[in-house]
Amino acid sequence: MTRHSLSLLLRNEPGALARIVVLFSSRGVDVESLSLAPAEQGDLSRLDVVVDLQAGRTVVQLIKQLGRIVDVKNVVDRTHDEVLELGA
Amino acid sequence: MDTTGAGALIKALEDVGCEVIFGMPGGAILPAYDPLYDSKIRHVLVRHEQGAGHAAQGYAQATGRVGVCMATSGPGATNLVTPLADAYMDSVPIVAITGQVARSMIGTDAFQEADIRSITLPITKHSFQVHDPADIPRVIAEAFTLASTGRPGPVLVDLPKDVLATATTYTPPKLATPSRPVLSPVQVRNAAQLIGSSKRPVFYVGGGVIRSGAAQELRRLAEKTGIPVVTTLMARGAFPDSHPLHLGMPGMHGTVPAVAALQRADLLIALGTRFDDRVTGLLPEFAPHAAVIHADIDPAEISKNRKADVGIVGDCRDVMAALSAVITRKTDLTDWWNYLGGLRTTYPLGYDWPADGMLAPQYVIERISKLTGPEAIYTAGVGQHQMWAAQYVKYERPGSFINSGGAGTMGFAVPAAMGAQAGAPDRTVWAIDGDGCFQMTNQELATCAAEGIPIKVAIINNGNLGMVRQWQTLFYEGRYSNTRLGTHERHPDFVKLADALGCVGLRCASQSEVDGTILEAMAVRDRPVVVDFVVGQDAQVWPMVAAGTGNDEIMAARGIRPLFDEEE
Ligand SMILES: Cc1ncc(C[n+]2csc(CCOP(=O)(O)OP(=O)(O)O)c2C)c(N)n1
Ligand SMILES: [Mg+2]
Repeated sequence: MTRHSLSLLLRNEPGALARIVVLFSSRGVDVESLSLAPAEQGDLSRLDVVVDLQAGRTVVQLIKQLGRIVDVKNVVDRTHDEVLELGA
Repeated sequence: MDTTGAGALIKALEDVGCEVIFGMPGGAILPAYDPLYDSKIRHVLVRHEQGAGHAAQGYAQATGRVGVCMATSGPGATNLVTPLADAYMDSVPIVAITGQVARSMIGTDAFQEADIRSITLPITKHSFQVHDPADIPRVIAEAFTLASTGRPGPVLVDLPKDVLATATTYTPPKLATPSRPVLSPVQVRNAAQLIGSSKRPVFYVGGGVIRSGAAQELRRLAEKTGIPVVTTLMARGAFPDSHPLHLGMPGMHGTVPAVAALQRADLLIALGTRFDDRVTGLLPEFAPHAAVIHADIDPAEISKNRKADVGIVGDCRDVMAALSAVITRKTDLTDWWNYLGGLRTTYPLGYDWPADGMLAPQYVIERISKLTGPEAIYTAGVGQHQMWAAQYVKYERPGSFINSGGAGTMGFAVPAAMGAQAGAPDRTVWAIDGDGCFQMTNQELATCAAEGIPIKVAIINNGNLGMVRQWQTLFYEGRYSNTRLGTHERHPDFVKLADALGCVGLRCASQSEVDGTILEAMAVRDRPVVVDFVVGQDAQVWPMVAAGTGNDEIMAARGIRPLFDEEE
């Protein structure tokens, strides 16, 4: 298992959050924590999520799968930011 | 233009070019059926919504356009779940329109309420529930664009009844001009370099090549390079079977030379394909010596199952055109072709006649292909007959084989053939079906008869759930638990059933009658035809890579392992 911290920008459309959460459950992604808040820009929401991936699954793959959800505008891997913050 | 939500729906469908809808009315969707009554759009009234969904898939694959199906709320919508899952797995562009209970009733467990959007979240590319009738034209246009661009797939549009009934003003939708991903010139150059230096390359071609309409480009590139081609189950027809560079289908029931080409390759040029487990076998043992170029429109497919050395995100047509432009000379592949040619001569596709004197199913399919030719469209159910249809029909053009590859949905053949025939009325459409599969969806033959959709159905009646029985023979010591259908004892009598459904019913049980029966079926043009081909129950699909084993263990026939033996 590997732990990753992702930050998503999504359109504030009905069903957008559900589609993301279902992707996690259908692809066997373990959600450690999740928080949703209005984003600063436009009609967007920001979703911060920490996930655990099974052996053999890559975060790059997960990011691409999230990226093809129509209402997801952007996905950033923040795993290393956190390490930096902790180190600072 | 003043209208209602329902009027806007039908007008929008007309404006985006929809010519046929497969569906069934009911309470929640009923408002839409009123303007449909006056529309130029043809509506085909199915007998089960699953049939509507598969018909939309068949239509889409036969025409290259978006297929449309429509159902009412609740059970009507849930009956579309299987075709949506099927279309999602095989990247088929369809739009499903469902009625929903009125907005104020949503979430109250109202009569015929089902949260179809949530139910279908993991099996749709996208979905909408419309709450303002003024949004309907835009949503329909977006649904069509989403379904047909990028990696195609199913899109659901859920319409509450009161939204359909509310007055609105129609504004014509603007269809977005689809943008295609721009290829990375660096990756194209890297790919060309790998191709230029490889000694044992192979084109591993998937369904994406058909979806992108890239068969011409593939042929040009293959002929320019002299590199062997294999076509997966979803790509049959993307490259002509008669072409000398074609080694056939790889995978669990692939040809020995096609599987060997992948296993012994030093370079896979994977085009619009997703390294499905039915192709790769045990993944760590798949193509162990090969570098991988992987081109796909969906970035999430690249390096999903097998790490790509060069990944190219793009439409297969653009990728191949770009590769053709930079590749200038043929590399010397003499040794490679000597090896593959040897396998092709030693292990051609073949079959034995059943010991009990019954018909060989492979022979029936071979003769249908021979007598009907490559201009026809062939659909298949799921099971042994599907694999034989992939192996023994000779395909020469893309879109001529329509089957359920990723989902493996029994019952696909008849409704998919109905949809294909509705979209391509001038082509002969043969559904190659199993005696088990046929009993799941044959009610759509009543639809075909009533609507004048003259499909032809060849039931490969082996009396059993043949594919399951084959596994029981090979892996469960011949303990045939629940695979006998009783269809050899005429439960049901397919000829009488065909007759009752308004079709011509024929039966054929001996080799000498096969050609005559096929020709008789071909001569019927005003009605659907069903032929009950009574075949032996013990025929098996070969070659075979047993599930969970590596491709090197491919058996040309039971106990014969050409690649495994070659290593010793
Ligand atoms: C809806 C569905 N249920 C069950 C299966 C499992 N299954 C795969 S092939 C098969 C047998 C199909 O029998 P038949 O249509 O007679 O085809 P045959 O293999 O005999 O040619 C079954 C039950 C499936 N693929 N789809
Ligand atoms: Mg059968």
